[in-house]
Amino acid sequence: MKKALAVLLTLLAVSGAVYGAPKTKVKIALIIESTVDDKGWGQAMHDAIKAVERKYGSSLVEYSYSEKMKPVDAGSAARQYASRGFDIIIAHGAQFKNLILELSEEFPKTTFAFGTNADVGPKNVFTYMPMSEETGYINGVIAGMVTRTNIIGIIGPVDAGDSARYNRGFWLGVKSVNPKADIKIAHTGSFADYVKAAELAHTHIKAGADVLTGAAQQSTGGLRAVAEYKDKPIWWLGQDTLQLTMPEGFKVIAACSYDYAPVVEAMIDKRQAGTLGGENIPLTFKNGGFVFKYNDSVGTVLTADIRKAADKARADITAQRLRLDWQAVKY
Amino acid sequence: MSLGQFLLNVLILGVPFSVALLLAGLGETINQRAGVFNLGCEGIMAMGAFVAFLPPYFMAGTPLEGYANLIGVALAIAAGALLGVLFALVVVTFRAPQGIAGIGLQMLGWGAAGTLFRRYVGGVTGVQGIRAMPIPGLSNLPVIGPVLFNHNPLVYLAFLMVPAFWYLLFKTPWGLKVRSVGTYPRAADSLGIRVSRVRYQALALGGAMAGLAGAYLSLAQAKMFADDLIAGRGFIAVALVYFGRWNPVGVMGGALLFSLAQALQLSIQVAGIDFPYEFAVMLPYVLVIVVLSLVRKARMIGPSELGKPFDREQRI
Repeated sequence: MKKALAVLLTLLAVSGAVYGAPKTKVKIALIIESTVDDKGWGQAMHDAIKAVERKYGSSLVEYSYSEKMKPVDAGSAARQYASRGFDIIIAHGAQFKNLILELSEEFPKTTFAFGTNADVGPKNVFTYMPMSEETGYINGVIAGMVTRTNIIGIIGPVDAGDSARYNRGFWLGVKSVNPKADIKIAHTGSFADYVKAAELAHTHIKAGADVLTGAAQQSTGGLRAVAEYKDKPIWWLGQDTLQLTMPEGFKVIAACSYDYAPVVEAMIDKRQAGTLGGENIPLTFKNGGFVFKYNDSVGTVLTADIRKAADKARADITAQRLRLDWQAVKY
Repeated sequence: MSLGQFLLNVLILGVPFSVALLLAGLGETINQRAGVFNLGCEGIMAMGAFVAFLPPYFMAGTPLEGYANLIGVALAIAAGALLGVLFALVVVTFRAPQGIAGIGLQMLGWGAAGTLFRRYVGGVTGVQGIRAMPIPGLSNLPVIGPVLFNHNPLVYLAFLMVPAFWYLLFKTPWGLKVRSVGTYPRAADSLGIRVSRVRYQALALGGAMAGLAGAYLSLAQAKMFADDLIAGRGFIAVALVYFGRWNPVGVMGGALLFSLAQALQLSIQVAGIDFPYEFAVMLPYVLVIVVLSLVRKARMIGPSELGKPFDREQRI
């Protein structure tokens, strides 16, 4: 019996936490600056909350959202939700930090959340942080093995938050399999300038890059630019699995994305246990916060050796045999 | 990469980057020469980008696919002209303050395009778009070939429009009317020129050009549509008109300068030159501000009645 319990606990630890259904109905509100169908940042959180809603049913999870909320507009939306008795209000973006910290004092019984942020907030504020260096590392391993020109391009939005972690994890992944690879990193200075991301992709390709990656919703612009080189061996590694299903998906070798469902479930679970906030919830492969998919129809570029190396990296990261010192990367 | 190749890449990339700004800037030049500044350029570009995107998106795989881009461009021009006329109705007929009305038009275009896109298309997605059309013979010339003759047709069209707009503005009777209603509308009115009609025509043409600029972004440059596709380029186009001193050739110079600076800052980052990217990203904007401040000291030859509504019954 003890052995069986030990095995069960080990399995739970490896596969991530398991949450039970909410005991009472929980009302969740989402505030985002983009839209719930942006095939990126906003959609990832929206899909996660919808998944939790489907899992437990609308009798236990009620969900509402507000899109295109600039930080200056988001305050009125958040106040409305708090006044209407919403239990958990998620302002999805680090730009909402000041707003949430202010509102958390005004509505002490409401749980607020914002991210990505690695800080621990007040007692009724959860923060969440994707450890994106993990997804970046796996994509980097693939990029390092795929490149023929030995030049790899990264399209960054700004050098902060989870994008900075992803880019540095990617750098570590490339260097782990191909130390001589030349990794070019550049930033657009924006999260949503699709045109500039495309311009940057063309600049990378002109400079010789044959494998590109990028984070934030603007990265779709970068992928679209790569797809213009239809008959050339220029490839993309995605930071969102939805890119695999786009018409440009034929250029995507593999993609990772965030699954915020464990974060949402953790917040519900903790709130119902009496913890309204004051914790930072990470997203990792271990807790099921990341999804990784190969593009099985991408062709011969994705070899068995590459799959093997990427699978090993993922297994090592999940089992925490591989620690990624992303902060040490200076580029 | 050698310095020569680096600079060549900057030129190759900078030319197509400039086209949306150039097209919108040429249209805005006509607007401002007629005495109306249209801050709604950004919104018209958004609507142009959206309607241009629709035919290639919905006609993909149909027998009409080959004409989809052309239809998209035509729709964008028509939508832009229509919004230009709407703006004229507000600022010329109703004499609303041009700045406020322009911001309203910007919001209308941006909001309507985004809402309709989500209603009829859904999430962010791409289209085949307009492909490059290298000019036979010329595109193989060293340096000048890849810089000037290896682009999509809208790039060639945009640069051919510069002398066309210059001629239209400075060598035709209509151009003279446009300049006169923007400089001294009362005198133009006393000579029998219908100020309102000319301003309507100018705003329709300016709107059409902004719509075409939007189409360029969604069909030729990004080959996709998203809410924030224009990302402030409409406002930059308005600034470039001041930069270019209300002259199509000057506007082309401004658009090229901004875009080459943009290509340069991206290339500097990609080359791994040790330079804070935050400053690199600012470079094109700082450049425009610096040149604009220098322009103010230069001889101002802009339309003196810019921004002022005309009322023939009002005494001076």
